[in-house]
Amino acid sequence: MKLELKSRQVCLFIIAFFPIVKIFTAPSVLSSFASNDLWISTLIILAVDFIGLLAIVYAYKHTKSDLFALIENTLGKFWARTVFVLYFVFFFLKAIVPINEQKDYVELTLYTLMPSKLYFLPFFAVALYLCCKRLRVLGRAADVLWAFSVLGLIVLISLSIPNADYTAILPIGVNGFDGIFKASYSVLNWFCDLPYLMFFIGNFRLKKGDGVKIAISFLISVIMIVVFMITFYSVFTSIAYRQRFALTEISKYTAVINNIGRFDYLGIVLILVSNIFALSLPLFFACKILDKIFNITKKWISPIFVVGAQLVILLVFTRNFASIENFMKTYASAFFFIVGNILPLFLLALVKKEKKYAKNI
Amino acid sequence: MRKTFKAKIAIILVVIAFLFFFSNDFGLIDVEKTSIITAIAIDKENDDYLVTAQIAVPEATDTNSENLKAQLTGKGSTVGAALKDLGDVSGWFPKLAFCNLILVGNSLTNTNVIEALDYFAKTLRVQDSALVALTEKDAKEVLSSSTPLDNISAFALQKIMFKTQGFDNDVASTDIKTFCVGHYSKNNSSYMPLVKMVSSGEDGANSGQGGTKSQGGSSGNESGEKTKDKKVLYDARSTALFKDGHFVGELDSDLTLTLNALTENFKGTTLPVDGVLDSSEKKSNYLLSVTGSKHKIKFVKGDVPTLSIKLSLYCKISDHAVEGSTEALSENKPLPKELTDKTHDIMRDRIDRLVKKSIETKCDFLGLNEKLYRFNHKQYSQYKDDLLSKMKVQITVNIEGQK
Repeated sequence: MKLELKSRQVCLFIIAFFPIVKIFTAPSVLSSFASNDLWISTLIILAVDFIGLLAIVYAYKHTKSDLFALIENTLGKFWARTVFVLYFVFFFLKAIVPINEQKDYVELTLYTLMPSKLYFLPFFAVALYLCCKRLRVLGRAADVLWAFSVLGLIVLISLSIPNADYTAILPIGVNGFDGIFKASYSVLNWFCDLPYLMFFIGNFRLKKGDGVKIAISFLISVIMIVVFMITFYSVFTSIAYRQRFALTEISKYTAVINNIGRFDYLGIVLILVSNIFALSLPLFFACKILDKIFNITKKWISPIFVVGAQLVILLVFTRNFASIENFMKTYASAFFFIVGNILPLFLLALVKKEKKYAKNI
Repeated sequence: MRKTFKAKIAIILVVIAFLFFFSNDFGLIDVEKTSIITAIAIDKENDDYLVTAQIAVPEATDTNSENLKAQLTGKGSTVGAALKDLGDVSGWFPKLAFCNLILVGNSLTNTNVIEALDYFAKTLRVQDSALVALTEKDAKEVLSSSTPLDNISAFALQKIMFKTQGFDNDVASTDIKTFCVGHYSKNNSSYMPLVKMVSSGEDGANSGQGGTKSQGGSSGNESGEKTKDKKVLYDARSTALFKDGHFVGELDSDLTLTLNALTENFKGTTLPVDGVLDSSEKKSNYLLSVTGSKHKIKFVKGDVPTLSIKLSLYCKISDHAVEGSTEALSENKPLPKELTDKTHDIMRDRIDRLVKKSIETKCDFLGLNEKLYRFNHKQYSQYKDDLLSKMKVQITVNIEGQK
């Protein structure tokens, strides 16, 4: 089987796409529950993610089958299909809020007047194109876009530092574990990125030392996210919870911006470009799962269904997004946690089971 | 063959997508229908807000290099509604992206000012880095005033309130975000500059000439009539104090300067020190230039919170009003002991008065509750309601010069 990715691309994928979706509305949601402890809530989710990452790296190392084959070989066709359906629902749900959030962000911050609904259509065209491609498109995108994400975040954070009062994160933990865990739970829609990495199993060769490189890449993305969260709270402190679009707000108070103009938009645009791909990821994997469940061979059928359904949701449920977002932050979060964080741990058992079968044969 | 067909379809789809995208003109508005608001004045009349917008009028001409302005007033039960009214009567879309100044009229001091200002902190239409100031009179009157500094009064006000680092730091500048952060913090207190109009001694034409143009708004402004009025200057060296959104007092220019010394970079500020007795018992006046400053405000641990305020200023003599004086900023000369002692006493007294003002008005403009919450959290719950009145205060001032 021809390998779709290189280990370098997996590392860059983590750096390019993991931090991006989390820096739009997730910071304000986190601070509404955890206040100045939002970074602890963030670290808790990412620590849980890291445990899952270790299981995935173990699978990278010990199996040559891809995820679909691994599950089918060990669980049988019926249970494999059940798992695929779960992941399809997971990816489909995971995409809804961030896509609407991006639409709102562009509509409210980049446009003066309420633009036509069609202005967001090009995003779906890009998503449709990506979803028709094979896994290697993500590797190639990561090769380029990691620089966009890193540079964009560096611009925004460095412009924010003069205006940030970092002592605002003190005192640590006084809001109680209740608020901290509630915050972690509420933002799982924006986090829970491990399932993306599961689909790389068997699609690249893990050489010696690559596991450590992947772990380091994950830690780099953790640092980017946590530094952003801390800086965000340090800039806004007591009104952080109501800064819905952290990205636009965070850097604009620096004296340079006041004197020269909003050149922080250079950093914002870099991040928006990366985000187009980051938002397409759940749609991409949902398409691949749909292809597998129904044995679809035409590469455009699933993308039309998945991307089309997202477009319809965006257009038809425009007035229901408050309820949808609330649903994602409450009931759906449990589902995101189970499918995004618990199920990946079972990879250890599946890989061992596969090894056992191989020995018996 | 099939590949070419697919490529054609892809190109057509992309073209259609772009057609939809660009047909919206990026959501831009015709420049004729846009008003670029440079400043906003908010007043209150009964239960309604009166929002006056100063609008920069772009004009394609090479004969006039001066700034042109128009002024419109809208009325509404909320600030947002008043802005909408302003757009309705003018047919302009009020573009707030360049609004860098929000003036709050004295009629709002009887109400909770945050109810009006919160709009600007929440909306994405205005940058909440816009400066905010209270006016001694109606905000509209200040915005309508004519000044020799600029044809657009808002630009003149911004020059005074947003000084480049290295100038005298004598205005307690605040932006919308900082004001709201203070209000919603544990301090429940905020402050903003208090703008007073001072006669410049010049007469000026309010409209129709000198590149200034006023247009009628919903509240019936002047409409092109020439009205002679006095040109004014603005003094923003006093500071208005707010507790729970309500105006509770004022800091004079000396206390404002001291507040800035304790909260901001004070480098470049000058301090007049008058009546210094020299060794021959002669009184003379000095002007000191602060070339370096350090401040620290913290609570010292103890049974009762003890506030420690430390201010260290490194100064050089900028002027000494005596005959034959050789002191100048360019000279590296030590400060006379009498001068450092006098400066020390002045600054210590001002800090003492500043703390007393905070206790008297209950306005925690030094952010002490927030400091106790962050760094001495265990004591916070015990003292959060009466910290200012129960705390002890230690003040240390250190004045240094060339050695």
